[in-house]
Amino acid sequence: MTERFPLSRRDFIASAGAAALTSAIAAPALAQSANKPLKIGMVTSLSGPFTALGESMRAGMQMFLAENGGKLAGRAVELIVEDDQAKPDEGVRKFRKLLGQDNVDIVSGVISSAVALAVRDVVTEAKALTFISAGSANDLARKAASPFVFRPTKTNWMLGHTAGLWAYEKLGKTGCMTIGADYAAGREYIGDFVATYQQQGGKVGKQLWAPLGTTDFGPLLTTIAAEKPEFIYSFFAGSDAVRFLRQMREYRLSGKVKLIGGGALFDQEDVVSAVKEAALGGLNTCNQSPTAPSSAAFTKAYQAARNVMPGEMGTAGYVTGQVIKAAVERVQGDLSNKEKVKEALLAREVETVFGPMPFDPRNNQAILDIYVNEIKEGAGGVPVNQVIHTYKAVRDPGPVA
Amino acid sequence: MGFYAVQSLNALSFSMLLLLTGLGLSVVLNLMNFVNLTHGSFFLLGAYVGVYWLASGAPWWLAFPVAFVAAGLAGFLLERFPFRQFYARTHLMQVLLTYGLSVIFADLMRWGFGAQILSPEIPEALRGVVFIMDMPFPIYRLFIIGFGAALAFALWFVIDRTIWGAVVRACVTDRGFVETLGLDTRRIFTAVLVISAGLGGISGALGAGILSAYPGLDEEVLILALIVVVAGGLGTFRGTVLSALLLGFAMTFSKVWVPEFSNVVALAIMAALLVALPEGLVAKKVRQV
Repeated sequence: MTERFPLSRRDFIASAGAAALTSAIAAPALAQSANKPLKIGMVTSLSGPFTALGESMRAGMQMFLAENGGKLAGRAVELIVEDDQAKPDEGVRKFRKLLGQDNVDIVSGVISSAVALAVRDVVTEAKALTFISAGSANDLARKAASPFVFRPTKTNWMLGHTAGLWAYEKLGKTGCMTIGADYAAGREYIGDFVATYQQQGGKVGKQLWAPLGTTDFGPLLTTIAAEKPEFIYSFFAGSDAVRFLRQMREYRLSGKVKLIGGGALFDQEDVVSAVKEAALGGLNTCNQSPTAPSSAAFTKAYQAARNVMPGEMGTAGYVTGQVIKAAVERVQGDLSNKEKVKEALLAREVETVFGPMPFDPRNNQAILDIYVNEIKEGAGGVPVNQVIHTYKAVRDPGPVA
Repeated sequence: MGFYAVQSLNALSFSMLLLLTGLGLSVVLNLMNFVNLTHGSFFLLGAYVGVYWLASGAPWWLAFPVAFVAAGLAGFLLERFPFRQFYARTHLMQVLLTYGLSVIFADLMRWGFGAQILSPEIPEALRGVVFIMDMPFPIYRLFIIGFGAALAFALWFVIDRTIWGAVVRACVTDRGFVETLGLDTRRIFTAVLVISAGLGGISGALGAGILSAYPGLDEEVLILALIVVVAGGLGTFRGTVLSALLLGFAMTFSKVWVPEFSNVVALAIMAALLVALPEGLVAKKVRQV
């Protein structure tokens, strides 16, 4: 009978004691790895053409971490911010530094699509958990998608496409002109808009292009005044957008010709707050709006902290924080198994300031609500992006099968 | 017809901006043989001063003299140290010094004025448009054309037709000789640099109405100004005027006819010009004995 219990009582006590002992030794070690500070690297543009955008993005992320008491899933967070100067080679260098030298757990940020494309191989090789906050070239969600690169932001197609739908439905079937910044992003926005608009049956007239950093839009605006279009689809960003809108008004085109553009053309913080009334009446499609219901609390907090309403980049920094938080919390702070982190993040949507955000399992690209914003006078006569329509759950076509 | 009339005015207003910026740079280069790459910083400083002045509610027309004074003051301090120590050195050393300084100033201004894009409140009086054969043209641009032409003429007159100008030109030719006449050449050079910096500032304040003010504008402007000065020919006033007009018209009409290739076409014209006339549009007659 004793054969049925190979363990004697003495043995049992000994082994139980040993087990207790090992777990006593092991437990603090485990707890320690969970309590080790969570290092988040953020690469953004703090000099060069996207300086203002980069500062907003950093501020958004810092705001988010401050609101969470500097802790995610019980782990203290250490944020390391690096400047890529909006240059791909500099971006690669900074990602290598964060991953190789600082040993961060998560990398995030990036405004320039060129930087996002350049660092893609670096983070893929290192199997680093990556959250691209803003780089939005279509290829990032298509050819250049990568298993551990998450994209809590839009692709250019999502905005160009929805603008095409809206323009055809509400603005007119003919009398369309386009004018865009002549570089990769401008070509994508205008191209995707034209493709959708024509697919619907719309007719596109003259298409104008202006080099990046155009100082004087006068000649192009005189051409537009001579062509007399019904409406213009346009894509410019940053200082180009400011100059374009101001000069539109100087040439008395603002009221006469309806203007619809990509979100960056009427970015609340970067552009609208600079051009003020010159933006009134403008339309844009964007994944962000300061007046979206999901953004209400954030808009208020951001305004209190920075004295300006948030634009896309400030919001993107914050949203990146929200998505990282969701990922870290869903695995109880343990990022050692990356497959598990990915599974948890893709499992269900994240509630963000942009709106509900599920991820597309094919390419880790966020599926987003796209807002049609119109610039109207808000409280105190300040021009504000007001949501007039929402395209629900817009999903990039993704990698072509 | 109206279309081309307005496009020509567009070209003219852009040429004026190029001219004003180029003039400040060329004055120092021509008269003092000093390469000053901080000129873009003076422009941006003037632009910021203009923006803040126009937002302050003080009389708007004072914005331009104030920008002149602010940038001139910066020039005055810089001339004391370290520019003065570099007048006698090679151009390469001057480039290294002034380029380095321009990077520092870019950072300082970003820190002081912020990184966001600032646009001036254009005064009510200049905000309208005139219709030329049914085509709109902003009054502010007419103002730039007029103001720029007046300023350029005044500068030409002073340098070419007055005793002051003669003294400055003599300094360049033979500094020692001017000293023997009992004139303090160091002071003369200071004055020229202050005027050059002030010109940069005033063109910044004027230009901000079209270009806005933001970090990075300094470099964009500097490059255009360098093209104007180099293509115009060193040491000539008329050359700078001619090349500003040429670049302005080339950039404007290439945007009208071939918008996709506007930069390529405009810069190719300037490059071809340099190949054909390596001394610049108007070469200084050099007499060698």
